Amino acid sequence: MGNVEIFKNLKMKKVTPLTEKTLVIGNGPQARCIAEELLAKDADLIVASEENAFVLPFPEKTEILTGVKIRSCEGSVGNFNLTLDKDGEKVSRIVENVIIAEEAVRKPNFSLYGLTPCANVISLSQLKESLSDDSRPFFKNKKFVFLTGLAKESNAVILEEIMRASLKLQSEFHAKTYILTKNLKVAGHGLELLYRRTKEAGAVYIKFTESQPEIHQQEDDGPVILTFTDDITGEQFRLTPDITVADETISPPENTSDLAAIFGLDTDPHGFLQSDNVHRISVLTNRKGIMVAGPSRDIQSPGEEITDTGNLALSIFKPSDERETASAYKAQINPRLCSGCLTCYSVCPYNAILPDTTASVMPDACEQCGVCAAVCLSRAITIKGLTYIEISDHIEKNTPQKKETFTPFLLAFCCKRSAARAHELASCMGHKLPPGLKIIEVPCAGGVSHYHIFLALRNNADGVLVLTCHEGNCHSERGNLYAHEQLNMIGSFLEIAGFEKERLLIKPLASNMSKEFAEITNTFEKKILDLGPSRFKMKKQDFSFLT
Amino acid sequence: MADKNVLVLGGGIAGLSAARKLADFDIGVQLIEKSAFLGGHGIQFSCKATDKCVKCGACVVEETLENVVRHPKINVLLNTQTQKITRSDGQFSVTLQKNPAYIDPEKCTGCGLCFEKCPAHGAISRGFSKSNLPFYAISEKNCLFMKDKSCSLCQDTCPEEAITLDQKRTDHVCETDAIIVATGFEAFNPESKPYGYNVFDNVITSLELERTLRQESIVSRPSDNKPPEKIAFIQCVGSRDAKLGHLWCSKICCGSSLRMAKLIRSRQPETEMAFFYMDVQTFGKDFQVFYETVQDDIRMIRAIPGDIFRTETDRLRMAFLDNSTHEILEEIFDLVVLSVGITPGKDTKELADQLHLAVSDSGFLSPSENGIFTAGTALGPMSIAETISNAGNAVWETLKYLRI
Ligand SMILES: Cc1cc2nc3c(=O)[nH]c(=O)nc-3n(C[C@H](O)[C@H](O)[C@H](O)COP(=O)(O)OP(=O)(O)OC[C@H]3O[C@@H](n4cnc5c(N)ncnc54)[C@H](O)[C@@H]3O)c2cc1C
Ligand code: SF4
Ligand code: SF4
Repeated sequence: MGNVEIFKNLKMKKVTPLTEKTLVIGNGPQARCIAEELLAKDADLIVASEENAFVLPFPEKTEILTGVKIRSCEGSVGNFNLTLDKDGEKVSRIVENVIIAEEAVRKPNFSLYGLTPCANVISLSQLKESLSDDSRPFFKNKKFVFLTGLAKESNAVILEEIMRASLKLQSEFHAKTYILTKNLKVAGHGLELLYRRTKEAGAVYIKFTESQPEIHQQEDDGPVILTFTDDITGEQFRLTPDITVADETISPPENTSDLAAIFGLDTDPHGFLQSDNVHRISVLTNRKGIMVAGPSRDIQSPGEEITDTGNLALSIFKPSDERETASAYKAQINPRLCSGCLTCYSVCPYNAILPDTTASVMPDACEQCGVCAAVCLSRAITIKGLTYIEISDHIEKNTPQKKETFTPFLLAFCCKRSAARAHELASCMGHKLPPGLKIIEVPCAGGVSHYHIFLALRNNADGVLVLTCHEGNCHSERGNLYAHEQLNMIGSFLEIAGFEKERLLIKPLASNMSKEFAEITNTFEKKILDLGPSRFKMKKQDFSFLT
Repeated sequence: MADKNVLVLGGGIAGLSAARKLADFDIGVQLIEKSAFLGGHGIQFSCKATDKCVKCGACVVEETLENVVRHPKINVLLNTQTQKITRSDGQFSVTLQKNPAYIDPEKCTGCGLCFEKCPAHGAISRGFSKSNLPFYAISEKNCLFMKDKSCSLCQDTCPEEAITLDQKRTDHVCETDAIIVATGFEAFNPESKPYGYNVFDNVITSLELERTLRQESIVSRPSDNKPPEKIAFIQCVGSRDAKLGHLWCSKICCGSSLRMAKLIRSRQPETEMAFFYMDVQTFGKDFQVFYETVQDDIRMIRAIPGDIFRTETDRLRMAFLDNSTHEILEEIFDLVVLSVGITPGKDTKELADQLHLAVSDSGFLSPSENGIFTAGTALGPMSIAETISNAGNAVWETLKYLRI
């Protein structure tokens, strides 16, 4: 029986949300902001934290779980099954959505500046805390030096705090402030204005370009002496502050890497809980139903907790789109063909595979990229739009008539989000494209498998292109990288068999790159013209593995 | 929740994402765009990926635009502006003035014959995305038919009979439950700066460079179409400038220009690149790494140059203070890119009066609530990503106001 029939006969049970509960993980201003907003709309909430007490009071009607550690999370959106540890006991909860909203961790950069903390060497947070309780007479008339972004680049959040502290020290304590930095990070709301106000109030800014100040701390708790050359005048300076304030590195909350593993979330280069991918703006992750907010996802400036909360609320309350939930469009695994190797489980970017003796798909989590189907060696997985029959039909329909002169038949598998759009734009802009070029739109280049490539070659394609999103832009996170692997592998097989591997080409292309689309395809056509018509031959029986 | 209706003013990424999100909640959206094309500034930008995506966000505008034009709940009105807005019983009544499109989007196939044949410079312009429907637009300012009816070549040549030049402006009144103002920004016009913009052909703005890279993929000198050997970027043009009273950092130009400079280096590796700046702002999640590697490709010069002069061989000479020697240096470039900043939109004041909105000291709109909401760079400098989040929050506020 062909896979298509199986696909028709196999009825997937549609998973409807068992609950409308939302779990909020966090114990700080961000989590509370979210809880208040969602509760105002009658959401059903559980708020959980590893800490034993909540820092802030949470509104009533909320189930509060303190001192819990999350152990595992199974299932998909609408039906996440969580196991938590509470006082050595196992607790389980079923929720529709999960929101991770922990608070950031701040690490003072003392060691980066060769300093040891003491009464006159403090961190920015220590200073802020002292300033918030108003009786600190020893700040009076003192000389403060702020060190920021000297050892590594800083950001606008830190600079804003420094400038506010400086302004307060100047206006309330008649203190003298010096701010030493490389790049003044004024890219925040109102910061240029704040910068000018601190300057007018007497703050001195010293900016370094290539050089660095020499920082000396006499003994471990001794006074600090700074010497440096002024960038503009070339003059030598020496500063002896009463108090030296070191800036801080803002890092993800402590338990972030554990949560990433438990929930199967991608992280960014700093370990924040959201991959660095423009398709995750603003609170989304690679998993449907799991959202991240505030300091769990990035360094946040004040006010952003409200913005994140608004965006979260939109995701939580959004009515579901029928097309999105229709399981006929999702990957289908035939249990009779599945060998249980679970390769699909390890590659699925959305954690949509339920591992067991055989694998199955959780339709609500599946985003139809086709990566699983492309890697399944048992060919147990089918997905609408990428089945052998569909692609084969498509190619046959598009195969051009043989012409007198050689016109290369080029088949381009184009990601529907990037290259397929670039192709449309290229046509709109009137760019000349190879006459024998045919496009096959695929949901993700990662769904293109060796079957598809062989199908193309068997149907007399003289060249096959796979056009993907750029690295770091793939909606399926790594689909484009899988496509690279597939193509390289096929290329080397073909080469061993004496076939020109130059007939296969994989390139990244964004949706707005129309000119580049034309350039890539035209250059490829030239190459194929040089190679001449494809001599790829496959006997029917060699091909049986495809049907 | 049925039958609610929201008017979104401005079809840049702020308005597009707001419209899309409202429509997801089954709300009817009237999307009002002043110009002939949706997408605002963002749709004009180039992808700046070299081999990896550099997260500029340009492609997100493309994707959102496509989703919007396909959405059955969103009705787009191009070439349209608000005339009058009145409010009673929680309902807004908005008088809209719509200029004709002249080209019927249903009939136009985007063949481009009109664009090719038109004898008047600038009378027909082209969209940026294939989701710009129609893909061509006729500008009343430059069209000869509008001037004296002396030409109707496009109408006569269009094989689809999609063009009707003899059309009048129309007024529409529309009732709505809430308004989201997403009218965006104006890129700074650097004519007043001593850099010879609009005097020397080879002094261009960063916005023009974005468009060139998008359309041509490589850059050449406007004066002679030759590839430039040396390019200078001048940062903070129109931003962080006390003389202009622009006491804000535009936030996006360091990122946009450095990414473009890197893109040019990767496509035209012979090009020498210099970047004149005051401070480099942190952008993107991977800034530290980006910033370290950018310095291998691009000469970073911490100085803002003085006047620019044209040399006899049609190059550009400028002087700046060198930090290491503390001397004034002169250097010659083939192309100068002015990184222009984000400034308040031209009709901010008028719009604020119409809608009774407050304007901040810097001239941007102040955040507003209670029926009229604000989103995006109309409020001040923001990146595309920030604009999208900001618009999301404005939609949430709108939903709360509408009690949905
Ligand atoms: C040179 C340059 C490069 C940039 N590069 C980047 C980058 O690489 N990455 C990034 O994240 N950001 C970048 N930005 C910033 C980016 O342009 C903005 O974040 C984004 O365009 C903001 O979108 P918006 O919708 O708020 O405004 P806009 O894009 O300005 O859109 C506003 C829309 O509203 C319309 N409009 C105005 N007034 C009215 C009215 N009265 N009635 C109806 N419609 C109206 C306008 O015609 C326009 O279509 C760049 C900006 C510049 C200047
Ligand atoms: S560089 Fe910009 S336009 Fe290109 S893929 Fe990345 S975000 Fe999209
Ligand atoms: S982002 Fe950079 S170039 Fe733009 S105004 Fe700020 S500092 Fe200047």
